[in-house]
This record gives sequence, structure tokens and C-alpha cells, in this order.
Amino acid sequence: MKFLKRFFKRLANVVARRRNDQRLKEEVEEHLALQSEEYVRAGLPPAEARRQAILKFGPVEAVREQHFAEVRLPFIETLLLDMRFAFRMLAKSPGFTAVVIVTLALGIGANTAIFSFIDGILLRPLPVKDPQQLLVLSWSAHARPRLAGHSDYGDCLNLARDCSFSIPFFKRLRAHTNTFSGMAAYAGPLDYDLSGNGPASMAQGQYVSGDFFATLGVNTIVGRPLGMPDDSPSAPPAIVLSYSYWQRAFGGDRSAVGRIVRLNNISTVIVGVTEPSFTNLTPGNPVDFFMPFSVADRIRSEHWRNSDRLSDPGVWWSVIVGRLKPDVSLAQAQAAATTMFVNETTHGPTRLLNEADAPAIKLLPAAEGLDGESSQIAPMLFLLMFAVGLILLIACANVAGLLLARSGTRQREMAVRLSLGASRARIMRQLFTESVLLSLVGGALGILLSLWGVNAITALFSSGYQAFPFVIALDWRVLLFTVGVTFAVGILFGLAPAARGARVDLTPSLKETASSLPGSAAHSGRRFRLGSALVVAQVALSIVVLIGAGLLVRTLSNLHNLNPGFDARSVLLFGVNPAAAGYTDQKTAQLYSDLQQRFAALPGVISASYSEDALLSGNWSSDDVHLDGAPPKQNVESARLAVGLNFLSTMRIPLLAGRNLNSADFAAASAINAATTPPDEVASKAKASNPAAAASPAISKGKLAPLPVVINETFAREHFPNQNPLGKHMSDPQEDNEPPVGQQPGYVIVGVAGDTKYNSLRREIEPTMYMPLVNNSAHFELRTAADPLALVKLVHGVVSGVDDNLPIFDVRTQTQQIDQTLYLDRLVSQIASAFALLALVLACIGLYGLLSYEVARRTRELGIRMALGAQRSDLLRLVIHQGFWLVLIGAAIGTAAAIGGTRFMSTILYGVRANDPLTFAGVAILLALVALAACYIPGRRAASIEPMKALRAE
Amino acid sequence: MTIQNDTKRRTFETHLLLSKRRHAMLPLGNQKVGDMKQKADVLQGTLALMVLKTLDVLGPQHGYGIARRIEQISGDLLSVNQGTLYPLLLKLEHEGSISSEWGSSENNRKARFYGLTRSGRAQLQTEAREWNQTAAIIGRFFEAKAEDLL
Repeated sequence: MKFLKRFFKRLANVVARRRNDQRLKEEVEEHLALQSEEYVRAGLPPAEARRQAILKFGPVEAVREQHFAEVRLPFIETLLLDMRFAFRMLAKSPGFTAVVIVTLALGIGANTAIFSFIDGILLRPLPVKDPQQLLVLSWSAHARPRLAGHSDYGDCLNLARDCSFSIPFFKRLRAHTNTFSGMAAYAGPLDYDLSGNGPASMAQGQYVSGDFFATLGVNTIVGRPLGMPDDSPSAPPAIVLSYSYWQRAFGGDRSAVGRIVRLNNISTVIVGVTEPSFTNLTPGNPVDFFMPFSVADRIRSEHWRNSDRLSDPGVWWSVIVGRLKPDVSLAQAQAAATTMFVNETTHGPTRLLNEADAPAIKLLPAAEGLDGESSQIAPMLFLLMFAVGLILLIACANVAGLLLARSGTRQREMAVRLSLGASRARIMRQLFTESVLLSLVGGALGILLSLWGVNAITALFSSGYQAFPFVIALDWRVLLFTVGVTFAVGILFGLAPAARGARVDLTPSLKETASSLPGSAAHSGRRFRLGSALVVAQVALSIVVLIGAGLLVRTLSNLHNLNPGFDARSVLLFGVNPAAAGYTDQKTAQLYSDLQQRFAALPGVISASYSEDALLSGNWSSDDVHLDGAPPKQNVESARLAVGLNFLSTMRIPLLAGRNLNSADFAAASAINAATTPPDEVASKAKASNPAAAASPAISKGKLAPLPVVINETFAREHFPNQNPLGKHMSDPQEDNEPPVGQQPGYVIVGVAGDTKYNSLRREIEPTMYMPLVNNSAHFELRTAADPLALVKLVHGVVSGVDDNLPIFDVRTQTQQIDQTLYLDRLVSQIASAFALLALVLACIGLYGLLSYEVARRTRELGIRMALGAQRSDLLRLVIHQGFWLVLIGAAIGTAAAIGGTRFMSTILYGVRANDPLTFAGVAILLALVALAACYIPGRRAASIEPMKALRAE
Repeated sequence: MTIQNDTKRRTFETHLLLSKRRHAMLPLGNQKVGDMKQKADVLQGTLALMVLKTLDVLGPQHGYGIARRIEQISGDLLSVNQGTLYPLLLKLEHEGSISSEWGSSENNRKARFYGLTRSGRAQLQTEAREWNQTAAIIGRFFEAKAEDLL
């Protein structure tokens, strides 16, 4: 309080520029007069009395300084003064100042932006209450359980384990647990046809158990969350909207709660909207609404011919999460859950596994287990993190080198100050002020840059036709860290002149010949060595970044130039989901052929077809088949794609042998489909966001013809080497212990098509069969003569002309679709290239700065050389030689580091080896050329020295 | 600081306070400030209390009066360094313990009179109490003999 009062009084004096000199002078005058009078009274002569008075008063100048120090705030005033001085010094060398500030800003900005992404995507805490307590269940067994169905929705992508469970298992676990304080299950998201709120549209819905919201501790901002009563079979269907969907589709209208919408044609009431912070448990799986499991019977979505997925212990499709009771250990809970799991799978109504298969449950922290989309981005982000870390190092080395070089030129200034009586501490303080000022401006610019960077990279991520599912905010902790690092470097090396200045012998410095005298150049020599080391480090680090970026760019161009096996140009893609709109399989087939004919008749459409999934959409399904003549129970896996009529010709996939699927084949497929009873085989585990059930032909009464299929070249080569595959028959997979039930028509090969990439450009082409699509949702492909997107309006017209309630979704061109699968590759190679460029520029600035300083320092020496007869070209060569050695050493170190480091990238690369000599050589040549340019400029300066001027200059 | 030895000089006026030193743009600083500050700090702790007590006893006083009083009571403490009183007075004034105003001295000259403020009086009381306690403890400590502690 007292201190503050005093501080503000003094501050006021500073602001008012009050000195109070007059007051002190008068007071002292009065004091001396009174004292003198006293002495006079004591008998001294007046002059002597005054002298004694002054003696008694003490050192006036010191008192005056003390007084002045008390009047104002000398510390702050010196600081302001120092800052003014620092500004002038920095303004005197604008080139140096600009480079240091920009370097600092880039280092800080790039790092903060990338780390913000890592934080937002990988380190994001789950948006639930006490996220660290939440666990997710995963299972393992030595054998594949004999399941009636299995789905996963990309929740546990990175686990070698699986986290899909059956609903009955979840209910039993929940009912009998004494280790969990709360449990919940969920499944999805899946596509739903939501109408009753404007035109019909597709929305992503997720099944949740009744205790989902309570267990997670998630609240609603409007209405109520779903509860246990909603999850009973008799409860009226109710859904809770996600905040973002509420904003997007309902404009944030509070009256949306209580409204009735139609979900796949079933009336459903909206009961609430989740709080904005909760998007979904699994990162990157956006959910539009949540619905209780109990409505799965009524609101059907995907093609599950088995309607019994709520009660069949053989249908595994939901993720289970839980919270432990406070005094229960992880191991205890794991053991208890494993016991139940073993019981369920080995002694249940249907035997799914044997005890020898050692089925076991493992509990994982939910944030770690539920990685979802982030597991795809993670390796890319770690790569960028590495690159950006190198950039930070380069930036620091650069700033250090520049400050160091500058310290040489300021040696004389320091000597002058020291000789005028400045203390070393005072000089330190001045340099400190300068460094802090420099770092402050760089840091401020860096913050702006990182804000921009986060937005720019988010925009890049969102440039695909699918939205970027993560929200990224600037990470202030990282910002603090990077700013701290750069400040430390700036200050450390900013103080270098003081450290040196204090040691130097003042006289030669003042004579300003130190730099050209060999004997006294020891300090400069050491500085040059340190500066050289910094340049070598920069070159080495930038080589690593450049090579990494080069490999990524080559990967991207390999992927871009890859022939996918079909013609991707001028194809319009869009999805329809008739089942969601209430179509039966029979009506679906009718609808498809109807739509196909209408689309084909559109002007500008060359041909039209459809398939279960669009090519290169990331979705994938496969089936096991048994080749006739193979040993019993030896099945082979084949990718499968159900397609429409003319699919191969529309996609321009060449037919190599046999014939295309014709309408008779579709009739046969329909017959098989119609004859199916509840299937015993659902799609094998496909890591697909829209898992499709297998249309496995099954039992029927009466003899069924086998399903005609077209296989790809790889299938023919692998399974029918040197044979004609046409007309060959394959049967359904033969399982252990299970005699074939009923009649299984199997497949007959009618044609062989060229190889195409199926779900991803990177994936090797696998044996694939094309079969007639007679049910399920589909993606249409329209081969057009001109711009495919110009047809979108017409397509909408055709569909609504057939059925107003049938939404079409995911409208995009095949090229956009491919770009979407490549967006991560493209993004990373773009960012990495930008970083590589940055690294190169920084390293060259470092090189340039060092050589410029060297030339300036050796002006006199160079002048003497020239006076003694050296040619200009000799001097040029001298400088370039010096710089180029550094580059060579740096390049050698960097290349060695890159050879060691790039192999960690090999999973990301495609079509190029991690130690691709072409990339390495290209980078080396690029660096050599740019470095040569950086050396040439100071070299030219050295060569253009006028000897007379140089000798006179000092 | 060199004034003490400079006995030949008579024109004190020109030496006192008139060197209008401004800060040079080449900041060198004052190297001697450190030493003096230390001494002053030790002195000021007790000196401030003495000033407050003086003003409490005598009422408003000018600087010379305060210096005389302290000298009378404390002897040599201020004998060569009366000047240090003035920065201290300013500090106390900044802290709000004392206030000052111009008045006229005994010989009708313009002089600055310092008086105790209410917060200054309160401060004096607490500090005096603390001082007495400390002094008493230290006193007892020094008086204690080896046998007392047994």
C-alpha cells in the first residue's frame, strides 16, 4: 500500500517530467544558511561558518542524485532510455532486424500452429465429465468367433484388437457388474433419411444405450438427454440432436425440441440438444443425432437382414465404455469382464468361441482406445511435428548466428562504453533490452502468424468435399513454450557482445584495427568457428527437412499419376438409400433400373450405372469363397463390389475375357436374394464407415442357379493360373464344425475385368469380384460428356420426379472423390514443402549473414590482398570457397541424418523408397545452387572492394 | 563527492546543484550508486523512525530543525551526512507518512516545513512498538549469562 502510493507519486512525476530540483536547492540553501548562522553564533567567521556547514551537509551531488532517484523512477526511465537506444540501433541495420524478427516469427508461428493441431486432434481430452476415468472395452481371441454379424464404425482404428460387442453381452455385463459404477454402449454413426424439417436429407445417427448420457456426464442445453426409459421397446422413438446439427439444420431454433420428425419414415420426437462441447466420443466421427438402441427394430437403416441385432449374442456391433468404481483396480475389472466374456462366448446359446481360443477383455483408457479418424492423421501430424521442430532449431541457429555476427561489428561500441566507465552490468542491461525488444517484436509477429496458420491449415483440411471433423484452437501453452525458447536464444546470443566486450583488450578495439591484425583476431576467430558450426547445423537440418518434403512430394505425384484402372474424369457420383426411405429389396431393384434409364437419357450423360460403394471412396467389403477343387475348409478371401448393369463400361474398366453382367444375371441374383432366409453370414469385418452386409446367397427351396460374377485380373492370376477362369464355380466358405445349411448356389465366373484400385490408391490390388447389386443403398455413377457438376440440378429433378422422399447425398465427381482420399497426403506434402522452403531460405540467410559479416570484418585484409596483386576473381573464389565448405559439411551430415531418419516415413510413402537416390540427389543439387547464390552476394562485395578505400577505411 | 576535499573553492553556489547533467544517449550509468545505496539503506531504517519521532515530539519542522534534533539526541549519526536527510524526507512524503509545505523560518526565510500525517503517526506507533520489542529481546539476550541458561 505504502509502496504503491510512493510508486504512483513517482510515476506521476515521471509523466509530468517533474524534477523538484528547485525545491531541493531552496531547502539545501535554507539548511546551509541556518547551519552557518549557528556556526557564526558559535564564533566562526562567516566564510568559515559556511564552509563548515557545507562539510557537515555532506556530498551534495550524491544527495542530489539520491533525491532525484526518489523523485522519479530511475529504473523505468533507464529502461525507456535503453529501449529508445535499442530502437535506434535496430533501425540502423534494418536488414538484420527484419531477418531476425521474421525468422523468430516463422519459427514461433509454424510450431504453434502445428502443435495446436496435434493438441486438438491427438491430445484432445474426451468431451465428457472426468474423461480420464472413462474406459473402453476391447476383446481378443486366438480364433475368429463364429458371428452372425460384425460391424465397426471406425472407433478403434489403431488397435490390433477389436471393440465391437453384442448388445446382450453389454446388458449382461451392466446387470452383473460390481466393478463398474456406470456403463454405456453406442454404435454408429449411420445414415438416416430425416424428413419433416424441410426437404428430406441424410443425417448421421448414432445408437446409444439409455444410460449413455448419464454415464458420460453429458448434458443438454435445450430439452433433456435420453434416459433409461427411452431405451425400452415400448417407448416412443425419441432422439437428441447434436449441437452443431441443431445449428445447421434447425438454425438453433429452441422450438425444435418437441417437434416430430420422420426418421426413415418413422415418427420420432426430438427431446433435446446436447451441449456444444460434446460432439462424439470418437474423434472425427461427426454425429447429427443420438437415438436409443431400442428403436433399432423400428427405424432400420443399413441392410441388416437379420433384424435381431438387439438380442442376438452373435451380432457384434456396439462399443462399450464404462467408469470404474472408486476402489476397484483396472486388473480386477478386467478379470471380472473377461470371466463374463468367456462365459458368454463359450457357453452361450450359440457357441462363438472355444475356451482354447483364450477370449479375453482388455480395458483401455477411452481417450487412447477410441482414436477414430485421428489415427489416420496422427502419423502425418507427427511427421509435420518433426519437420516443424527442425524449423525451430534452424530458426534458433539462424538468430544465434546473426546476433553473433553482429556482436563482432559492435565490439568497438562496447569498448568505447567500457572505457568511458560503463559497468559490464550496465552494458549487459542495454544488450538485454535490445534482445528482448527484438524477441518481443518477433514473438508478437509469431502470434499473429500462428493464428493465421491455424486458420489456414484448418481451411486446407476442410478443402475436401467432406468437412474437417476437428475444431482447432490456438494452443497457448505451446505458444508460450516456443516464444520462451526463442526469447532464450535471442537473449543468450544477444548478450554475446557483452561477454566478449568485457574480455577484450580495449586499446586495439578502439584503434579499430583488431579485426585486421592476425594476433588479436583470436576472439573473432572463435566467433567465426561458432558461427560456422551454426551454419553447418542449419544446412544439415534443412537438408533433412528438404529430403523429407521431397519424398512426400514424390509420393503425392506417384499417387496422382497412378492409373487406378478406370477413367476417373467426367464422372458424377452421388448416393441414394432407398431402404432408408422405406423401399423393399424388390422395389429397390426396380427403382435402380428405373433411375438408371432416366439418368442415361439425360442430355450430356454418356452412360449411367451404380454400385454398392463408389470406387476409391474408402469403403471396402470382402467375402470368403471356396474354390471348387480346393481342399475342404480352405477358403480364399476376395474383395467384392455389388454393381449395377453397365458398371464396367461406365467406369471404362476393360473387359479382358468373357462377358459383362447382363439383365439375366440380375434376375438370377434377385431370385437368390428373394430366396434368402436370415443369413448366417454377414459382411466380414470391413473397416468401412458404412459397413454393408454381405448379400450372401443362402438357403432356399428349389434349386438356385449360382450367382454370376465378374472377377478381376488379379483374381484370375492368383487363383486360376494358366487356366481359363470362365465358367468356373466357387462355393460359399466352408466353416469349421458347421455343415452347410440348406442349398448354397455359390458363384459362377462369367467374365474377367481389368484390375482397378478399389477403396484406396495405396492399397495393393486384391482379388475382387463384381456381382449384381439387387438390394442395399447405392452410389450412382454418371459418365458425362462435359462438366459433371453441371448435371447436379437435372439429377435432383430426376430423383424427385421418381420419389420426392428419396434424398440423394454425397454429390461429388470421381475426381473430387479421389482428391478426398488423397487430401491428407496432399495437405502434408504441401505443408512439408512450405516448411522445406522455409528451412532452405533460413539456412541460406544464415550462410549469407555469416559470410557478409566475414567480408565486412576482413575488408582490410581483402584490400591488402588486392593491393598485393590478388585478382577480383580470386577474392570471389576465396569467399565462395569458405561458404561452400560449410555447405558441403552440412549437406554431408544432413544426408547421413536423412538416411537414418526417413525410413520412419516409409509407411507414408508410396512408390518411392525412403532412401530414394533421385530425391537425395535432387535436394543436394537444389541446396548447392541456392547456397551458391547465398555465397555469391557477399563474394561479389568482397570482389568489388576498392583497395585504397579499404585500407583507408579503418 | 569530491567537494569535501576541494577546500579552495569558494563559489559554492556554482557547484551546488547546478550541474544540469542530462542523460547522454550513450548510457554509461553511475558506478558508485551501488555503494552509497547500501549505506543509506542501513541508515534510513533507523533514520526514518527518528524523523517521525522528532516530528511527533516537536511538531512541524524544517529539514535543518529535524537534523539538529537528531544530532542532539543521536550524536554523530548525521554529523557528516545531513544531506541524506532530504531524499529520506521525500520518500516519507511519497509514502504519505509526512506532508510538507512552505513556511518561513525563525529568521524569516522561506523554508519547507514537514509535519506528521495521521498515517505517519500510526506508522510511528507500530514501528516504535516493534522497535521496543526487538530492543527488549536483544537486550535480554545480551544480558543473559551462561548460568542463566543452565
